[in-house]
Order: sequence, then structure tokens, then C-alpha cells
Amino acid sequence: MHKLTENILDKLTIDYLRNQVLKNAYGNDDTVIAKLDPRVLLIWYLFFGLVPWFLNDVALLLGLFLFVVMTTRAARIAPLVLFLFCVGVFSQTGYLFIVALFFGGNAETIAPLLVMTLKVAVVSLASITVFSGLDPDRLANGMLWFGCPGQLSFSISFAYRILPVLMEEFQNILLSFRLRGNPPQKKTFIGKIRYLGYQIKMIIQSFYPLMLNTAKRSRTTVEALELRGYRYSLQNPEVKRMKLAMLRVTRQDMIFVVISIIWVAVCVAISAALQDML
Amino acid sequence: MNPDNKITQSQKMMVFVLSMSLYGLATLFTELIPSFQVGIVEFSVEYFLFIPLTLAMLFDPLSAAIGAAAGELVFSEIMLGQFGGLGELEKFITVTIGVYIAGRLVKDPRRRGVVAAASIIGVAVQQLMGCVVDILKVQFAVEDFEAVAGLPQSVFFTEGFACLNDILFSGILFCMLPTMYLVPKLYGKIEPLLGMKPRDEKTVFSGENSLSPKIIIMSIIGFAAAIVAELLASGGYELIDWEAAWAGSTTNIIIAIIIAAVVALVAIGVIRNRAAQAER
Amino acid sequence: MSTIEIRGLTFTYPGAREATLRNVNVTFGEGDFIALVGNNGCGKSTLCKTLNGLIPHFIVGDMSGQVLVDGRDTKELEIGTLAAKVGYVYQDFENQIVCPTVREDASYACLNYAMKDYQEKGRKALTVCGLSSKISDYVWQLSGGQKHLLALAGMAALSPDILILDEPIAQLDPAHADGIYEVLKKLNEKYNKTIIVIEHHTEYIARYCRNVVLLKNGTVKWKLPAEEAMRRVDELQESNIFPPQVTIAANRMVKEGILPEETVLPVSIQEGKEIFGPWIKEKDQKRRNSEVKKKDEVMASFQNITVRYRSVKGEAPKILDDFSLDIRKGEKIALIGSNGAGKSTMLKLLMGLVHPESGTVKVKGKPVRNMSKEELGHTMSLVYQNPEEMFIKDSIRKDIEYAMKVRKIENYQERTEELLAMFRLSDLADRDGRLLSGGQMRRASLAIGIALNPEMLLLDEPTANLDIATRREIMRTLQMLKGITDTVIIATHDMQLVCDWAERIIVLSAGYVIADGPREQVFSDMYVRGQVGIRPPQIYDMGRGLGIVDSCFTIDDFMDHFRDRNREENREKDRGEKYA
Repeated sequence: MHKLTENILDKLTIDYLRNQVLKNAYGNDDTVIAKLDPRVLLIWYLFFGLVPWFLNDVALLLGLFLFVVMTTRAARIAPLVLFLFCVGVFSQTGYLFIVALFFGGNAETIAPLLVMTLKVAVVSLASITVFSGLDPDRLANGMLWFGCPGQLSFSISFAYRILPVLMEEFQNILLSFRLRGNPPQKKTFIGKIRYLGYQIKMIIQSFYPLMLNTAKRSRTTVEALELRGYRYSLQNPEVKRMKLAMLRVTRQDMIFVVISIIWVAVCVAISAALQDML
Repeated sequence: MNPDNKITQSQKMMVFVLSMSLYGLATLFTELIPSFQVGIVEFSVEYFLFIPLTLAMLFDPLSAAIGAAAGELVFSEIMLGQFGGLGELEKFITVTIGVYIAGRLVKDPRRRGVVAAASIIGVAVQQLMGCVVDILKVQFAVEDFEAVAGLPQSVFFTEGFACLNDILFSGILFCMLPTMYLVPKLYGKIEPLLGMKPRDEKTVFSGENSLSPKIIIMSIIGFAAAIVAELLASGGYELIDWEAAWAGSTTNIIIAIIIAAVVALVAIGVIRNRAAQAER
Repeated sequence: MSTIEIRGLTFTYPGAREATLRNVNVTFGEGDFIALVGNNGCGKSTLCKTLNGLIPHFIVGDMSGQVLVDGRDTKELEIGTLAAKVGYVYQDFENQIVCPTVREDASYACLNYAMKDYQEKGRKALTVCGLSSKISDYVWQLSGGQKHLLALAGMAALSPDILILDEPIAQLDPAHADGIYEVLKKLNEKYNKTIIVIEHHTEYIARYCRNVVLLKNGTVKWKLPAEEAMRRVDELQESNIFPPQVTIAANRMVKEGILPEETVLPVSIQEGKEIFGPWIKEKDQKRRNSEVKKKDEVMASFQNITVRYRSVKGEAPKILDDFSLDIRKGEKIALIGSNGAGKSTMLKLLMGLVHPESGTVKVKGKPVRNMSKEELGHTMSLVYQNPEEMFIKDSIRKDIEYAMKVRKIENYQERTEELLAMFRLSDLADRDGRLLSGGQMRRASLAIGIALNPEMLLLDEPTANLDIATRREIMRTLQMLKGITDTVIIATHDMQLVCDWAERIIVLSAGYVIADGPREQVFSDMYVRGQVGIRPPQIYDMGRGLGIVDSCFTIDDFMDHFRDRNREENREKDRGEKYA
């Protein structure tokens, strides 16, 4: 575990992380998924995010799993996010499995846990498809249509705007620490622990300058928002109607929905056939 | 002039934006770096909670708390697609309550003792609520929870231990100490940048108690909502499934799916209706 | 069309002891193009914020007097109504942009005010600002100049009658700066907007503005037509405003008796030709061109470097392509080129922050890739463009001593005190770097940069965002580095800095070195000038325009050609005074 951690930490430079996040956030706005109507996708998500929770049939779950794997591929999600997804899903249930064994569980314990893993996987991939695959403004508008408060859709859109700026600033501040600092040697085991501690301390300390610099920024931002009528837009239902007017269900959306339905139907049929055979 | 030092709407907005961007950024990184363990200490998202805690102690606690929760939701959940649906509401509410309470407790940010106590209370509140929800969640999500050998004990043990460990060890190391370091350092420096006066006994909570019954009741209601949301999200529907003793037959699965779809559509319809009414 | 009338305006920020604006009385007529000038802290930005209603609607404070827009008091107008009349572009324009894409941001305000044709309006504003080709881009893909134009478009989309811009060209290279002003000119002339700029680049004021308002200590000293205003050389200099170089030169020549008493001072090269023409004494080359002294020891070298950036989408763009260069010990190098030419990348390569796809960067003969950050930190130091990112501690003293302290250098406290005294920061030592003025911040960041006595210093835009007085101060500070750190590389747009300081100029364009040599050579190369949009100081062009063979890089160089005798002596004396 420690070895792995070390390995990951060495590879994951801030620069790499930044690139992956930007790729994930902005690099896939020309995919099939990104062009779909956000409302259709959100409803689609509602289905794939809820239904697996009360299915217990492994074959059917596998079918759904395959389908969301394909949609995730179509949405061109950054590799790092997918890697995280895998680590996340399998550590969640795998961890529980080991502890359950320790407390006197047996191989039978694995069956419900496997089903649960599949459930989690389907739901997570569906969410990755929808939330990472959609354009920020389309996603924000989609959420708005479902009655989410205007503040949330502002937050989404603003987050996508400010993220690259913040990351660059964070990177530069960390760099100041690295260029001027003097980290402990990491040759020995104790040294490695001390090095890790040093890194963590550095990250925490870097929030002091970051907070002050961001405070300076946010003042301008909020003043500009006031000038540009942000608060008006929250109070005026007309604005919301105008924003939503650009959402349109197209033929592509219909094709996507039809494919989804057929796929699910086929999966159900196969699972039924399998059950009959048994 | 502004004699009573009331916080204006736009200042609240500034605190919200500040808290959202900073905590959002931090959670984005922790989401990207898988949580790992050194000995019994686990490093994960919660430990950047010192950011909103610090802001809540210096500025308007509610804006900072909601900002932090929104930041986590938007930056790490939505942007990276790690969105857990309704279940995210639980995290949203517990973070908000924890940070808000901690922020309310501090009247004079220069007193390190108070800052330290408040931050650890904030973390404890947040962690305990999270722990309770987690246990309930597994109980509902795994079919025949009681029947699986060793599972209940293991869940209680791991969750309970993790919670205690989080509060005592990580909470002190990564929440209390950084907050103690940052709050007095930032005090008097960061406020003028947002065009505000530093917090003192007169400014922020005019006349109110720091923890009035109203706040506690609101917190409890919020927590209840969090539990309901989480259970609805992960296990709630299973109840129907279970009681009807349907599982097994294909026809029933199809019916279940159709019902689920209908429920989903009805839910959408209701939400739409509400939204439309709110507009009028 | 709108007029603005300000009557007896006094404003005090909450908690401030003194009023920022005092009894301001001024009128801005419709269709005017006005420059607002004054030294730092004289209340220029505050005055502008009263025009768009930020004061008193959002910034609370003690306000008396009236601001009338179209005869209506801003106190009584809704902020939304005002926004449709007065647009404001911050100096800190980056944070004014709130949407992730160009299209959204341009139409954002129109959408918020529920205008039916908001998209059309946004598109039109982008076209006017010359950004129509970028409409589908994300904001972070834009260059600094383009972001500034976007901030302007976001405001112009509401089609307000009055547009206010706070230091619109502070961070831009001359080509982009011209771009912004051409847009403003178009808005002013074609669309009849009133434009108000806070500006200290007087050459632009003389070229574009019609009227100038001088603010001093929170009150309006005068409002004059631009040309007349520029001629008030002494008054402007008192407020740290430096009129165009030809005007200053003429003013000094009148005082020295070279030009007759009644001379009307020129404000542009065109006028200068007529006025200076008859009085010129000699045009021949008397001075020897300065040469790059060939120094032997190679400090750093780039060998066939190709760098690509990680791209978000599609093919990664090459920043540098098969790039080779040697940097010798003791050189003072200015790195120039338009935004995005690869200047910062070069500095980052040296610091080992970016690694090339192919080729090697060597520092003192050792590949950078094999050196640790700490080792590099001893040889070299990089001072960022944004000094705020250099401040990681809560006081300047702690920031300066940090690197020495963690390296356990003996007597680090004494050395810190020395540095504080040297950069005149002793009185500010316990303040947080971020809360200082622009010039103080720069000085502090330089002090941090040389704390470890690096052999080589890299500076990224050390004079960006500073007014001219502060820039001069930074130049003096750079002179002080002599003897401590002898190899210095500066990436900059500031041609005055280049002329006064650099011994070797390297011009980058799209990842290639297109010129490399002493200033005379680089500036006389018209091809290079055209390629990268660099512009020598105005006085250089004035000298050329008059047919003087020598290159005039300073006003003194220029005036030498009008003096009779003892030219060399005079010049030496002036040099001495300049840095005294």
C-alpha cells in the first residue's frame, strides 16, 4: 500500500492533474454525448442511477454495465477519472469484503458484495457519462429546468470559469515553496515519512497565500456580477425562460433514448432466458 | 455609513464565492489523489475542511458553509462526474451544519483556544452525522444485512472506528491545527480585501447567542433530511422490493423497471410543477 | 446620448480617516474621449465607481454631493438602469469574466437583464471588439489581450452610452495595446460612445483622447483638451505622470535655452519634426554602437529544444521548435516578443519547470533534468510576473529569510536586514507582501529573488502593471543588482527598460529567435520590428524621423544632438545624475 502510494504520488504532479482535469472539463465538448439535450440525459441518468439499486440479477446488471461503459467511452472521459472510478468502486466493496472475512464471513459473502459492486459501478459510470460528458452551460441549464436554484447553475458555470485560474495560482504558490524550500531527504524510510509530512505541511501552508489572493479576486468578481445584473436574473422568471428556450430535443436525442430502451429490453430478455435455462 | 456593520448581500456573495472556489479546488485534488493510509491515519477529502472552517470563523458562517458544500458538489462531484445523485445531499447538509456551527461558536477569532475548540466541534458534528448515515446506508443497501455472517459487526466496527479515528487523530492534525494556524494569521488581513471590518464581539451576531435553540433545531431538521435523502438514494426503494418478495422472476423485474421509470417520470413532473408554481 | 455631471462629490470609505474624493466638480460631455490621470491613490478608480453606481449602491461609505447621469441622480437610479447607461471594465479584467466560454460571457449581462436578443447583442459586441473568430472558445484559451477585449465586449454588449476602462493596456504588448485603442476609437467615433479611460501611457492619450482630467488628492485639478494637457509637463510630472518623450525633451530644451521660450511643445512625432527640425546641430554618427562583449564562460545553454504543451484537445502546439541558444556569464539579456512567443517557456525551461520533448537545457554544463530543484535554486532564481505568488509567508521579512532559514545559512537574519535596507523595505518588513503598493510588492519580490545570492536571475515582466514612476524605481533597483548577481535575464514588453538596461536583446517570435544582438542592431532592423510588434521608445523614432544617424534611446541621447559642445562630458554628467 505504501509502495503504491509512493508511486502514485511521484507520477501525479500538479501539472499532470491540472491537465487531466482540464481535459475532462473542457476537452470533450464535441462528443455525441455532449450534443444531447441535457434534460434527456438527466432523465436517462435518473433511470440508470436508480434502477440498478433494486436489481439483483447479475446478468442484467452486467448488461447495463456494458452499456454505461460504452456511453462513458463515447463521452471521452479523461483516463485519470476512469482510473479513480475503478479504485473508488473496488476499494469500497473490496475493503468491506476483507473485513467481513476477518469477522468470520466466507465465500458466500462475496455474492451480495459482487452484486453491490456492479450496482455501484453502473450508477457511477452513468453519473460520469452525464456530468463529465456534458457541456458546463448545458448541464447548468438542464439542472435549472428541473427546478434547481439559479445559484447552483451559476456555481457550476462559474466553477468552470475559475478552475484553470485557481489551479495555475495554486501551482505557482506550491512552486514558490519548492524552489525556496528545502525538503528533507527521502532516502531512508523515516526520511520518506518526514518528506510526506513536509509535503502535507506545505500544501496546508500554501492555502494562506491562496486565501488572500482569492479574496482579492472575489471582490472584483462579485462587483462585476452586480454590475452585470446577476441578482436581477435570480429574481426575474423571464430570464430563466430565455435560458431554457435554447434547450431542444432533437432526433439525436430520440435515437439515443431508443437505443437505451432496446438495450435494456434485450438485457432483460437475455437474463430471463438464462434464468429459464437454470 | 454602515453604523451597525451589517453584512451586505454582496459581501455574503463574496464569502460564498471565496469559500466555494477554495474548498472546491481542494476537494478536486483530494478526489483525484485516491485516499491512502499511513498507519491508522487516513488522508481524504474531509481534511481540507480547515478551509471553510477558517472562513466561517472570520466571515459570515452561513455563506462560508453553504459555499463550501456547493464547492465540493460542483468541483469534485459534478466536474469529475463522481456525482452520487440524491446521496450527495447528505454530504452537502452535514458539511454545511458542521462548518456553520463551528463558525457560530467563535466570537473573537484571535483567541486560539476558542478557535481550536470550535473547529474540533465542527469536525465532530460533521463526522458523527456522516457515520450514522453510513451505517444506516449499508444496513439498507445490502440485502439481508443481518443474515450475512460477520457483516453487521464489521460495518459497525469499521464505521465506528473510522469515525473516532477521523475526529481524534485526523481531525486534530488536519483540521484543528491548520485552522489554529490560519485564523489568527488571516485575521485583520483578509477582511479589508473584501471591504469588511474584522469580526469582533459587536459586529457579526448582534445580540444573538452563538448557539441559539433555533440553530440547533434547524440543524437537527437538516440532519434528518440528510438521512432521509441518503436512504432514499441508496436503499429506500429496496423496501418496496423486499416486502413484495418479488425478486427472482423476470416478469417482476420488468415490472419493477417500468415502475421505476414511471416513478422517475412522476418525480420529474412534480419537480417541474413546483418550479413552475414558484415562478408564478 | 448621455452626459455625466458631478457636483460637489465627496466620498469616504468606511473606516478610512480621510476622504478619498473631495468636492469633485466636473462634467463629461457626450461622445467625448476622456483620459483620467493622476498619481496612485488619487481617487481615479473611486471616481469611476461612483459613475456606475457601485458607489453608493454596493460599496457603502460616506457620500455627499451628486452624480447626475443624464440629469438623474445615481442614488435614485436602479443599478440595472445605470448598467445600461454606464459600462465599467476593471483593471483586474480577468476576474470580471464570469462565464466559461466567450459566447456566454459576451451575452451574460444582456441575458441577466432579460433582453430578448441577448445572443445577437453578444455576437455584435464581439464583432466590434474583433473577437468574432473566438466565439466558441473557452475563456482560458484566450491571451491576455483577448481577455481584456472580452471584458470590454461583455460591457459593450449592453450598448451603454458611456464606457469606463481602468488601465486598459497595462499588461499588453504594443500591438495588442493598439488593438484595444483602435476598438475604443471605433466605439467612440462610429457608435458615438463616451469613453473614459484611466491611463498613464501618455503617448496613447495624445494619440487617441480628446480631453484630459487631472485628479490630485481626491479633487479635480483641471480638465483640458488632450494636447494642451500634455504640454503641462511640470504639473503632470508632479503627479508622476510622464508626458510623451518628445514633449519632455522639448520642455527640457526650452529650459536649457536650446529651443526658444515661446515654443509650443510637440506631443507627437509629427509635430516634433516641425519643431525640432530647424534646431538640430548634428546628425552624424559620433558615438560608437555598444557591442555585446563576447564573454567566454557559458552559463546556460539550450540545445535543439522542442517544447510542446499538454493540450486539452487535438494536436499539442509547439511552443519552441529546435531552439538553440547560449547564455554567457555576466550578460544582461532582455527577452522580447509578443504575448505567447515563448518567453516564459524559456524561463521555465531554465528552472526545470518544463521539460523539453527533445533537446537538452544545461546550466553550468549540467543538464537541468539531472539537477534537483534545490540545487537549481542555488544557482538561479525566478521572480514571477505576479509578485503576489511569491509571498508565501505573512510578512516580507519572513518571506525574504525563508529560503535562507530552511537552508540553515549562518547569519541569515543579518543578511535579511541588509536586503530589507537595500530595497528600502525596512519600515514595511512586518507587513504582508500582498497588502503593499505595486512598486513595493515588486521590490519585495526582487529581494526574495536574490536572497540566496543566485548566480543567475530570471525576471518575468518586472515592470508590468506599474505606473511610470514606479517603473523607474524598479530600473534603479535593477542597477543595484550589479555585483551581486551578474547574469540577468528579463522577459518584458517594456521597451524603455530594454533600452536603458539590456546589453543583449533576444527577440522571440513564434518559438524562433529572430534577432539577437545589441539594441542598436535590433531596433534598426525594421523587419524584426514589424514581425513581433515591438516598439522602441518614442524618442528613438523621433531621432530616426529627424534623420539622426545615432540611435537615441534616452532623452539625453537625443538632446546631445542639439547641444554645441562638450557633448560627451555633458552626457557623462547626466548619466551620473540619473542614477544618483
